[in-house]
Amino acid sequence: MDKSYRLGCDIGGTFTDFVLVDDETGEFQTNKCLTSPADPSEAVEQGIQQLLDQTPDFIGRVAEFIHGTTLVINAIIERKGACTGLITTRGFRDVLELGREIRYDAYDIFAEYPQPLIPRNLRTEVDERIASDGRIIRDLDLQEVRKRLAQLQAAGVESVAVCLLNSYENPVHEKAIQQLIRDAAPGLSLSISFEVLPQIREYERTCTTATNAYVKPITASYLQKLSDRLATLGFAGQLFIMLSSGGITSLETAREFPVRIIESGPTAAVIASQHYGKLFDIKDMFCFDMGGTTAKSCLIQKGQAGLVSTFEVGRVQRFKKGSGLPIQVPVVDLMEIGAGGGSIAEINRLGLLQVGPESAGADPGPVCYGQGGENPTVTDADLALGYLDPDYFLGGSMPLDKAAAHEAIATKIAAPLGTGAVEAAFGIHDLINETMAAAAKTHIAEKGGNPGQVTVSAFGGAGPVHAYGLARKIGAPRILVPPLAGVGSALGFFTAPVAFDMSRSHRAVLDGADFAEIENLFRELETESAAILGGTAKNEEILVERTLMMRFVGQGAETDLAIASRPFDQWRKAEIRELFDSEYKRLYGRTYDDNPVEFVTFKVRASLPARPFRIPPLKTGGTSLATCVKSTRPAYSLARKDFVEHTVYDRSRLFPGAAFAGPAIIEERESTIVVGEGAAARVDEFGFVWIDLEAGESAEGKLRFQKGET
Amino acid sequence: MTNKFDAITLEILWRRLVSIVDEADASVARTAFSSLLRDAHDYTCMFTDSRGQELVQGTFCTPGQAGAMALGVKNIITGTPLVDYRPGDVFIVNDPWLLAGHLNDVCVLSPIFFKDKPVAFTACVFHHADIGGRVASDNREVYEEGIFIPPLKLYDAGVLNQSVLDLIRWNVRTPEEVTGDIRSQVAANHVCAQKIIEMMTDEELDTLDDLADEIIGRTEKSMRAAIADIPDGTYPYRGLIEGTGNRDDIHISLTVVVKGSDLNVDFSGTDPQVDWGVNVVYNFTYAYVFMAIKSAFDPDIPINEGAIRPISMTAPDGCVVNCRFPAAVAARMQVGHFMTEMVFKALAAATPDNIIAGSGGTPAQTNIMYGKRGDGRPWHTMIIRGGGLGASSRKDGHHCAIFPANGANTPVEILESDTPLIVKSRELVCDSGGPGRRRGGIGRKMVLKVPQGTGAPQAPTTIAVQAGRYIYPPDGLFGGQPGSKARFLRNSDNADPGGLTFCDNGDTISFYSAGGGGYGDPLERDPATVAQDVRLGYVSLERARRDYGVVIEPSTLGAEIAATETLRAKRKSENDS
Repeated sequence: MDKSYRLGCDIGGTFTDFVLVDDETGEFQTNKCLTSPADPSEAVEQGIQQLLDQTPDFIGRVAEFIHGTTLVINAIIERKGACTGLITTRGFRDVLELGREIRYDAYDIFAEYPQPLIPRNLRTEVDERIASDGRIIRDLDLQEVRKRLAQLQAAGVESVAVCLLNSYENPVHEKAIQQLIRDAAPGLSLSISFEVLPQIREYERTCTTATNAYVKPITASYLQKLSDRLATLGFAGQLFIMLSSGGITSLETAREFPVRIIESGPTAAVIASQHYGKLFDIKDMFCFDMGGTTAKSCLIQKGQAGLVSTFEVGRVQRFKKGSGLPIQVPVVDLMEIGAGGGSIAEINRLGLLQVGPESAGADPGPVCYGQGGENPTVTDADLALGYLDPDYFLGGSMPLDKAAAHEAIATKIAAPLGTGAVEAAFGIHDLINETMAAAAKTHIAEKGGNPGQVTVSAFGGAGPVHAYGLARKIGAPRILVPPLAGVGSALGFFTAPVAFDMSRSHRAVLDGADFAEIENLFRELETESAAILGGTAKNEEILVERTLMMRFVGQGAETDLAIASRPFDQWRKAEIRELFDSEYKRLYGRTYDDNPVEFVTFKVRASLPARPFRIPPLKTGGTSLATCVKSTRPAYSLARKDFVEHTVYDRSRLFPGAAFAGPAIIEERESTIVVGEGAAARVDEFGFVWIDLEAGESAEGKLRFQKGET
Repeated sequence: MTNKFDAITLEILWRRLVSIVDEADASVARTAFSSLLRDAHDYTCMFTDSRGQELVQGTFCTPGQAGAMALGVKNIITGTPLVDYRPGDVFIVNDPWLLAGHLNDVCVLSPIFFKDKPVAFTACVFHHADIGGRVASDNREVYEEGIFIPPLKLYDAGVLNQSVLDLIRWNVRTPEEVTGDIRSQVAANHVCAQKIIEMMTDEELDTLDDLADEIIGRTEKSMRAAIADIPDGTYPYRGLIEGTGNRDDIHISLTVVVKGSDLNVDFSGTDPQVDWGVNVVYNFTYAYVFMAIKSAFDPDIPINEGAIRPISMTAPDGCVVNCRFPAAVAARMQVGHFMTEMVFKALAAATPDNIIAGSGGTPAQTNIMYGKRGDGRPWHTMIIRGGGLGASSRKDGHHCAIFPANGANTPVEILESDTPLIVKSRELVCDSGGPGRRRGGIGRKMVLKVPQGTGAPQAPTTIAVQAGRYIYPPDGLFGGQPGSKARFLRNSDNADPGGLTFCDNGDTISFYSAGGGGYGDPLERDPATVAQDVRLGYVSLERARRDYGVVIEPSTLGAEIAATETLRAKRKSENDS
């Protein structure tokens, strides 16, 4: 049977989104159903059944099923992973518990710290030792390993992490333990630090390996259920999983390294933006994805999102750096820039308005949901300001209580501040925009971008509502709202390349380095990563990119240098030095010729060529704007600081070439787009809504310096 | 333009200022050379308005440096008329009396110009592991402790003063690292200045002073409200700090006076300065007095000049907590870090839920280690070790933290790559947490080996200890028991923590940090929690029985309820009689 379909599926906290594309016709179908937390694959099956009602028999014609999930991150946050044991070097079982010992909030003497994923009684030691240069100081005693393994198994351990000191430099003992466990306990889930993260710094490496081990069984059983259900439904194509790094990988690799799919969900929106950035040749694109509890963002430069090598999960305090578990795997450079629609507004001890980080979540939810929520949220403010239609939330399936939202804002925010309810609602809307703008500007500037030149691409339920206000504040001239912005993540799956990143630490001073040895190291990494890709697509050309991580001898952090893939022994040392110096100077202003430099880590990305993906042209053939207008309603103008009439358009009726000026609101089932006064919207042939902000409109700074109530 | 900011604008600009200083702070980890900075984070970034009033300090600051800078940087800045600053000026200073109390804390300070006017000053203090001199706490005068840098121009209107850098280079053991770290300081200030200028441009501000007045005013109000909640009164405390190496103990007398929204701490009656390196300058004492009040009563608000205004301090000139030049000050944390705990103790009865018991990370346990590798290359490193945090009415002490200072450990793999030493273990110590209804945090030990044979250095390997709690363990509160003491062993013998220890190849060095003090009667601790502590190896079976009166069944490691009740009843009647 001809396989012309691809199916993208993204499991979020509340909803599971589907996008089905027929590559022959370019046509899309979408579906959304409630997530089934107990067994997420159940909602997948249910959602596919619903799609089958619309398009019978498509499932057998699906070539690729591409999947993102919050399963792994939820298992970590909710501590629902496997009973996990650790085998480590004698003297170091507490590495996981001591962490880096820094108090992340110097003045909080009652601060909570994240509990290690492996409790102390399940962390066991073996007598062995490798030196920092890779020498064996003490041999491994396999008898002892057997004994420790038996103890862990007797304690009910389902998954084992192995992390020995200095193994990044010489993994011989870790490999011996791996072999022993495979032979002695073939069914036991196993994670080896040399495979998960062969990099210096034992806490970060142990933590990453332990996290991998902790979520490995649950990921494996989920993926098994998923593929069984898909097979039962008649699916016979390839199954891909989204990586946090923005690539997609095989089910086997995801099962082996689940720590690499932690940010699987939010990454998809970034990848979609990246694709649009290339498609429309946009130099700097700011991906802005605002959902119910968080707003995440990412700067995409020349169609390429940044990649970082460390992030934190399970923070005890969400906005406090250092209060979570560090995970060192490649991840798209996402930044949480603020709260979401469900975030609660309140007056803090200083008498200042504050929004978030507390969230009303889905239960009780915002006041306007009428489910018992008493604290006003961002969604309540958006409703009070007229941006949302109380009768058309989720296409009208969920009526909102506007009067209750207004009342809660009046009593809880306006009264203590001594202002009117409308001013308070505007304050909430404006503050969250300001908060996000401040974070966004820092984020963009840090990446060397200019907020005044970015195109904001809006995703998520609340993204298109706030994009206009955010763009004004950061001075962005243009907003892009892609088709299906509410399920944009799932769309992103179709554009992701099959790719895998690997790295290994090996310190060597440039002057004395053996380039042939480094070439061997690179080749090993390339062989390993190509083998991982090999399972997903054979006989295709594998693209390999090499990166050097270098620094001045004595520094603690490295500067990344992307290098051409010619054999490493053909490079001259002076060429490498020159590359380093010019990059260091670009980043920090000056370089120091006298100081020697060294290699620390070598990275490889292996990928397959990006896959073709077409967005279907809009089929609506109208020419009259009047047919697209649903109604008009008063909504708050950010420029005038007062209510003005907004024309309300139905997005599904908008046709290619449709163009109109703000103030306007465009409604679709999953989201609402605000087009403020002075902005101009137009719809292109594929249904993207482009919003141009008035030149020089970002005079927001002036507006803010009005006389305050202080 | 109006000079007032509405509440929402203020919040946003304030947030941006914090993110600016945090960005400067983050750049240090990328550019610094010493592991004490990049891994252990012993540095602080901040900036002031044009009047030298502290506006923001880094979130990951070290409270001692930060508190001392809030006072010291202002004095330095206002010492020069504003009109005399030039764009591109960069000052360097480590005068302990002007700043953070010892020569290792080097400050680099720069004016920030916007539209041709100085609008702010950015400053950072880095703890340089090596500042020359004789590295130990038994020096008698500051002259022995390293190079002393009065405020000098490192850059004069943008031009490097090479002589200053050369002078520093020739006075330290590891010149590459020290000058590399000074460059990192200049870079951090550069990042900070750039971002401030960007913000002022974005926000169309000509001055930061109006904004500073608002922020500082709000912060002062918040701190005053917090102090007003403390019952008015006079709260005296008299305590002892051990003299390491058979020296006399040091007596500290302090009286906290709370009156309305003002708080004063007076040190009358405190011992005079001593002839070894633990003397504390006024700024540093103030920093840890401030830390106590801030952390106990108003921890949430970012710190600036406003937070320090309601808190005053008086100390007799020439006493050990307000020492006179040229006192030896290198190990000032051995006394200075105790100020926080002592203020807590003074206020404990009045505000029992705001404070914590004694901590094993008080003082920060510091080791400077150096020598030559087998091939003759010198190596030099410094580590900071924490101990168990004191327990409080709400929770057990966190194990292993540097408190009231702050910082991180140096990864074992980094330490082993930077030095010839081998780390044998770094682990929690059973039974080290002070028993209590809330248990004190667990202390930790670290065992080092100086290798023999392959990889061996040239003997001797020198180890300096600047630490404490070898004689007096961290106290418990309200019936809570003390944590375990610190120990310093060379092979299996107690070594002298008061001076330098010269190690041979093959020696094993053990550092034990103290456990935190407990809070409340240990006989009231939930037996199930005690059993859990036993299962995790925090508390032994024997000590569960002895300290907590909890009988644990050895095979299941569960608490035997009936036997425990009987034992506890017996223990209580013994205690009462």
